[in-house]
Amino acid sequence: MNDDAPLHDDKLQEVARRLGARAADRLDVERTAQVVVARLRTEPRAQIRVLGGIRPAWLRIAAMLVIVVGAGVVVRSVWRDRPTATALVAGAELNGLSADQLRQVLEAVGQPGGEDEAISSQDVGLEDLSALELRALLESLEG
Amino acid sequence: MSPAEPVAAVPTDAALIAAWHGGDEPAAAELVRRHARALARFLAGAGALAADVDDLVQETFIRAFRALGRFRGQCQFRTWLMTIGGNVLKDAHRRSRRARVVPLGDDLRATDGDPHERVVAGEAERRLAAGLEQLPRMQREVFLLRAQQGFEYEEIAAALGTTPGAARVHYHHAVRRLKEYVK
Repeated sequence: MNDDAPLHDDKLQEVARRLGARAADRLDVERTAQVVVARLRTEPRAQIRVLGGIRPAWLRIAAMLVIVVGAGVVVRSVWRDRPTATALVAGAELNGLSADQLRQVLEAVGQPGGEDEAISSQDVGLEDLSALELRALLESLEG
Repeated sequence: MSPAEPVAAVPTDAALIAAWHGGDEPAAAELVRRHARALARFLAGAGALAADVDDLVQETFIRAFRALGRFRGQCQFRTWLMTIGGNVLKDAHRRSRRARVVPLGDDLRATDGDPHERVVAGEAERRLAAGLEQLPRMQREVFLLRAQQGFEYEEIAAALGTTPGAARVHYHHAVRRLKEYVK
């Protein structure tokens, strides 16, 4: 007990030794032994082993994995279903239009492009040109 | 002069545990007889209500026998039993909080319903019990295992999964705080 010398307190230890003495005296040890053995006998060993064999740490890890995978699935589905930025902006702009203006927009969207609509040079490749068009192109390049 | 009768050797805890593993029920009963009172003292000291001690002792033994396959003899069976008792008590407190059971006052702790017994229960004991309730669980259990049960720091450390030095520090912190309650 030299380890406790700086804080040694006989009174404290004496009180601590008395603590719970009455509860211990009241305990019917023989009955407790019988009850424990009876419970061990009635509860199947297999069940005991299964429940007792799973360490809480593994249970915690398994629970965390389930939570992480579940959260991943939820986030992925939400991400997939979210509206695109363009749609959001367009939606916000359309909110400010009147009924007539909306009708005009719908009509404009429904119309196909005109024949005289300019085509960007980036939209057409050499492979899209016919033999005549290629010859005309070469001649124009030669001047 | 008659020859001395052979003295029946008292089986060790390890022998009883091995016998129980082999299906010997009386060995389990003997382990309960051997350690039940010390466990009851520990549980009462750790804050168990007097009315609950009997059930908590039983539950602790049931859990201990279920988990005996994991007991590697790293500490004494009794010390290991008390760490399980600490877990059982913690679970019981959690359940009682969930059920919104109002705990009895300190003057009723670790006593039965006999008013006379309550009167004679030492004031210092009540104060110590109240102080123990305020301690972190590790400090409380180290203090009880040391001061109440008389275990060495090495034994306590092995049971609680810490080092003897850390157990010593926990004990000293506990004593420092408890002195304020008991003085």
